[in-house]
Amino acid sequence: MPELRKDPILGRWIIIAKERGKRPTDFIVEHSVSKGGFCPLCPGNEKTTPPEVLSYGDINHQPNTPGWTLRVVPNKYPALIIEGELNKEGEGLYDKMNGIGAHEVIIESPNHDEAFADLPQIRMLDVFLAFRDRIIDLGRDPRFKYVMVFKNFGKAAGASLEHSHSQLIALPIVPGRIVSEMSGSLSYFKYKERCVYCDMIHQEIKTEDRVVCQNDYFLTIAPYAPRSPFEMWILPKRHASSYISQDHSSFQALAAIFSESMRRLNACIPNVPYNFVLHASPLRSEPLEYFHWHFEIMPKLTQIAGFEWGSGFYINPTPPEDAAKFLKEAKV
Amino acid sequence: MKKILLVDDEESIHLLYREELEEEGYEVHSALSGEEALDKLNIIEPDLVILDINMPGMNGIDVLRRMKEINQSMPVILSSAYQEFKQDLASWASDDYIVKSSNLDELKNAVRKYLRPE
Repeated sequence: MPELRKDPILGRWIIIAKERGKRPTDFIVEHSVSKGGFCPLCPGNEKTTPPEVLSYGDINHQPNTPGWTLRVVPNKYPALIIEGELNKEGEGLYDKMNGIGAHEVIIESPNHDEAFADLPQIRMLDVFLAFRDRIIDLGRDPRFKYVMVFKNFGKAAGASLEHSHSQLIALPIVPGRIVSEMSGSLSYFKYKERCVYCDMIHQEIKTEDRVVCQNDYFLTIAPYAPRSPFEMWILPKRHASSYISQDHSSFQALAAIFSESMRRLNACIPNVPYNFVLHASPLRSEPLEYFHWHFEIMPKLTQIAGFEWGSGFYINPTPPEDAAKFLKEAKV
Repeated sequence: MKKILLVDDEESIHLLYREELEEEGYEVHSALSGEEALDKLNIIEPDLVILDINMPGMNGIDVLRRMKEINQSMPVILSSAYQEFKQDLASWASDDYIVKSSNLDELKNAVRKYLRPE
């Protein structure tokens, strides 16, 4: 029989279609073929992008020239623009403001065909440090309230260019999804005086049913009520609401567990399209007892159609306990 | 005279753009598909390309990547009725991106940035 499961933070209901019981090999993944041709993100083509705001690489490497191992550049055709004032105003009962924001692209590798999941740990660490460095820098701008960090991999997940990259958008408002998570976490905290994510971590470690992997600092789980088959959350074991406040050892451990989690996912479903999103406290907020930063990794294996849009329910054909088992047993 | 290759599957766009651009003093050549544009590239040797994105067959983004592989210094202006292709990072290979409009001032200004009419 199908099962309805409720996400304890958002209160969102999920239908686990147990009878469908899809295994990794049941999912048809369109293997993206490199289209070739000119790539604006490759070394040597730095003039095609706006000037970089951050780069890591050879010690003697000059800005906007080859020799980098990671580059962050503003989006050439940004969704929001950085110059100008917000000019918040009402229009009757409606609210509006100017489309101010910063939209940046993190070019994760100089090698066109090197996927994020295949990055050596030391270079994956650079990606997470770049997220931190850019969040710190953009957090100095009082117009911005939140920096959304995300990655799209594969055409089905919204990435059209195969050269490995992630993105961030600094926003003048805290996105509704984050507000809902914070509000759900706060409700739980007010009732139990504990962080819901910390409770989740303790319970998942104890039962082990949905644990994919862990190290001293982090835990990867298939969440209890996942929207997508093989969805994974990576959570720091020590409570923290701010991503940028981690020390270097923690970032190293994050790179290690992210690398392992992605390799496990890739071993189960090769070349699976996915999105990942960083969920963290808003810019310049004090440490929050009730909120816990984490990454959510969403493989793109099911279609979102009328029922999902209308109800907010997601139908997931793979129970997370099965997904965790496949991921845990994957040879990496 | 500076040569422009206009690539769009809609003939009405060719009629509209050609008249305006010829008035500005450019020599305008037409291609109705991405494939035709790539075939004509070496023959015409344009100084600039105006390229539609949403075309049957090879789409404008794929044509752009091929064109820039052949000649990176040749300016290419993407021209589309849709804003959302801006989110496609492959569009970064272009030198400019304009949204199609009945007012061609934006297009003409973009062309003038790269070409001075003779």
